[in-house]
Amino acid sequence: GLLLVALLVSNMLLTKEGVTSLPICPNGSINCQVSLEELFDRAVKLSHYIHSLSSEMFNEFDERYAQGRGFIAKAVNGCHTSSLTTPEDKEQAQQIHHEDLLNLVLGVLRSWNDPLIHLASEVQRIKEAPETILWKAVEIEEQNKRLLEGMERIVGRLHFGDIGNDISSQWEGLPSLQLADEDSRLFAFYNLLHCLRRDSHKIDNYLKLLKCRLIHDNNC
Amino acid sequence: MKQGFVSSLQIILQLALTTTGLTGQSYPGKPTIIKCRSLEKETFSCWWKPGSDGGLPTNYTLFYSKDSEEKVYECPDYQASGPNSCYFDKNHTNPWRTYIITVMATNEIGSNSSDPQYVDVTSIVQPDAPVNLSLETKTSASITYLWAKWSPPPLADVSSNSHVYHYELRLKPEEKEEWETISVGVQTHYKVTGPQAGVKYVVQVRCMLDIGEWSEWSSERHIQIPNGGSPPEKPTIIKCRSPEKETFTCWWKPASDGGHPTNHTLLYSKEGEEKVYECPDYKTAGPNSCYFDKKHTSFWTIYNITVRATNEMGSNVSDPHYVDVTYIVQPDPPVNITLELKKSVNRKPYLVLTWSPPPLADVRSGWLTLEYELRLKPEEGEEWETIFVGQQTQCKMFSLNPGKRYIVQIHCKPDHHGSWSEWSPEMYIQIPTDFRVKDMVVWIIVGVLSSLICLIMSWTMILKGYRMMAFILPPVPGPKIKGVDTHLLETGKSEELLSALGCHGFPPTSDCEELLIEYLEVEDSEDQQLMPSHDTPSKNTKMIPKETDSDSGRGSCDSPSLLSEKCRESRALPSALQTQDVRAVQENPGAKRSRETQCTASEQNTLLFNSETAKSSTWPAAQLPNNHLPMFAYHSTVEAHKIVLSTTNVNVSPVLVGNEEKHQSQYPIIETVHDNMEKQREIENSKTDQTTVQVKQNRHSDKPPFLNPKLMDYVEVHKVRQDEEPTVLLKHKENNRKTEKYTVPGTSKEYTKVSTVVDHNILVLMPDSRIQHTPVSQEPAMETSQNVQQGQAEKNMSYCLTFPSNCKREPSGSEYMDPSSFMPSFK
Repeated sequence: GLLLVALLVSNMLLTKEGVTSLPICPNGSINCQVSLEELFDRAVKLSHYIHSLSSEMFNEFDERYAQGRGFIAKAVNGCHTSSLTTPEDKEQAQQIHHEDLLNLVLGVLRSWNDPLIHLASEVQRIKEAPETILWKAVEIEEQNKRLLEGMERIVGRLHFGDIGNDISSQWEGLPSLQLADEDSRLFAFYNLLHCLRRDSHKIDNYLKLLKCRLIHDNNC
Repeated sequence: MKQGFVSSLQIILQLALTTTGLTGQSYPGKPTIIKCRSLEKETFSCWWKPGSDGGLPTNYTLFYSKDSEEKVYECPDYQASGPNSCYFDKNHTNPWRTYIITVMATNEIGSNSSDPQYVDVTSIVQPDAPVNLSLETKTSASITYLWAKWSPPPLADVSSNSHVYHYELRLKPEEKEEWETISVGVQTHYKVTGPQAGVKYVVQVRCMLDIGEWSEWSSERHIQIPNGGSPPEKPTIIKCRSPEKETFTCWWKPASDGGHPTNHTLLYSKEGEEKVYECPDYKTAGPNSCYFDKKHTSFWTIYNITVRATNEMGSNVSDPHYVDVTYIVQPDPPVNITLELKKSVNRKPYLVLTWSPPPLADVRSGWLTLEYELRLKPEEGEEWETIFVGQQTQCKMFSLNPGKRYIVQIHCKPDHHGSWSEWSPEMYIQIPTDFRVKDMVVWIIVGVLSSLICLIMSWTMILKGYRMMAFILPPVPGPKIKGVDTHLLETGKSEELLSALGCHGFPPTSDCEELLIEYLEVEDSEDQQLMPSHDTPSKNTKMIPKETDSDSGRGSCDSPSLLSEKCRESRALPSALQTQDVRAVQENPGAKRSRETQCTASEQNTLLFNSETAKSSTWPAAQLPNNHLPMFAYHSTVEAHKIVLSTTNVNVSPVLVGNEEKHQSQYPIIETVHDNMEKQREIENSKTDQTTVQVKQNRHSDKPPFLNPKLMDYVEVHKVRQDEEPTVLLKHKENNRKTEKYTVPGTSKEYTKVSTVVDHNILVLMPDSRIQHTPVSQEPAMETSQNVQQGQAEKNMSYCLTFPSNCKREPSGSEYMDPSSFMPSFK
């Protein structure tokens, strides 16, 4: 636990502050800003971190609440973000234009704003929810916002004519997180965490791909 | 009459032969009646074989007569039974009569007749073979049997269907010669029990009416009896793996096949789709596997995969396997591993490892990110050293043992999920033996050995300390305190002071020790004298059991070696704490931390409030019995100690502070009984407490000019007081708030500097900041000072103070201590 927190703190320091490599500004330059590479570095670190968190959270939940309930078989009904058509394999991901891919990332991130807020509050009500899960829910919510900001920054830097035009997918799962029946409620959480793990991995994967494509010219 | 008919025919034939002989053509040859047969006693047929036709078209005519009848009839039906046959239907068949049948062949030239055939219908009955024989194997109660079914022979006359046939069935394994014939009875089915599993059988049936002959055997039917004969068991999907995060393969393990050739089919459906697909490729990845190529591989989608095993007995489906390809990536091991030895600037060799990601993995696009881990060990070593190197593809290894051969392996794993690849093949590298390094090793060994010797020596010195030192360096008697120059004291130069005090000798001398003993005796006697003079003598005296001496802290103090050992051991406790202490004491007593701070604070408090009610409550009541636990003392004064040592507090020898009774008793007596030498922590702790208390006592003793037993540890003070009634105060320069403050002396261990002299009878000493100090003898009057410092820093021994009588853990290096410092504690 302590170690994790320590890791986290160091990670956050790295991601937030970017202490390691501040951009060197030309003297008196007005346009002194973080380089695109640096932005991508931070975004990738953050998305990596978010996915690690959500992955751990899912595993903890799965271990604690989902054993023997056959949730996985029911979870094939998809996630609220499945309406966003995202690349499903490497070729698709490579063929899609980077602007579109970035917009998709933004869309997925936005689609999670709402559910993450509710997740962070509703997860408190799970019976005997361990501190680690509660903490991660809050942390993911915060970091997701942060990543969204960062991605908007990156998209802005790339000078798209049309920024994002608000693709996102509405989440309507709140009632299911508040169901009286414990089994159904736990399944709703399971499914949400499962989707969170998946989408955070998508984002992480796309960002790593984009970074290699845009910064390193496909030669990471 | 019959004879006449035959002979007349012969005459005609003779004529015909003679005529044809002339033209080359002749009358037909004699036909032969082959057989006559009745299928069911109600009709019958006869067949004949034509003779030569004599070169001309020949007609055949069958004539028959019945016994006891003259009339000759011609065949009623030449068609029904085929060519060269005659069918006698029901109306022309009489089972009670014998038929006489001849066949006559006729052409233009003449005719010829067969031999007559006598036919009794009942005796020529032979049915046709049964038809529609069918076989199957059936299993009931895990016993397999062979089930045969057939139909009776068909009859031309459908209306006559009421015949009862008897059947026989014969069977044999295909490859054998001998048939096994089974009488079936009148049923048209039969159950053959106990066929051999795995054998192919041939089966035939025949039938018979109640009279007549058996029919021909029916046509052969073949059947394979299954082995065991059950559907296959559930196959198991072992695992699915994607080697490069682009395609994946699933493997399954077939279960028992139930004795039949079994087919496996892999079916899958994808998340959100109803449709079930079959495996796109069973071949690429080998037997019992299914390969999903790029087109069939989606990520972030759950595949629901099942495997169905099917044989002729049935089928069985595996448990579903849910796969999200994202989580099953297991790359191949890294390749192109190179090991290279390089030399650094200081000529120490180091190992540079480089490698490449597995060829299948496309890490350049960023689609897949790999992390690496390597492990190495000396060839003969047991344990691997594993090093996680993250995403880099090279690594430098330092501090490898020269002359050893190392084995190195690397494996890799995707950044989030998936699993480690296999380890790469073992790579070997020989670290060359470096002479320089060897020399270094020798030197290191020498160094270690010599320092060991030093340690041992210093150890013995600690144990035998005084005597040895005394033996080597005889002591120099110090001057009396009367000789101290007050001006010298005021200027505060410790060396001068020291020289003035006269204990030049370092280390302490045997004289000093003798003096100590003397002193102790004196002190004891003084004790006796003093006790009665206390305000609360009854209580206090009670609290000084003499017999505790032997095992008590006092006993310890009496024996310097013992004491030093104790102090040293206790010092060895929390070394971190100690160093903090040292620093704090040295640099800023006002901001001391941990024990020291606590002590100081409580001392200050004590001094400030000086036995007020509130204060006294924080101290153990004087009325407390002797065995009362020192926890009381810890409560208020030394919280840090309490925290550290609370668990052992129970065993701590009692510390008695005989101070209470509001303002009355100014002479608390501390009794520390140590039952056990091993309880160094407790000792240490009690001592600290005592320090605190002691300080207070000293404070008290300022005012009333009592002879406080506590002060006797300060022999010089004691002495001085005897003459002039002074006391010794410890004062920190930095401490502005308090007028007086007794501090546990820090690193320098001695308050050798005289800061100032106040009121003519208060000597204010200051700690000397110098760490390595020359021995100090502070007891010129009694000549018993044992405030000795050992300058050997590496010994790092505990130091026990002369000052307010505590055995404080002293981090820096004296192995000697002033026994007198303990005296108050144990009184």
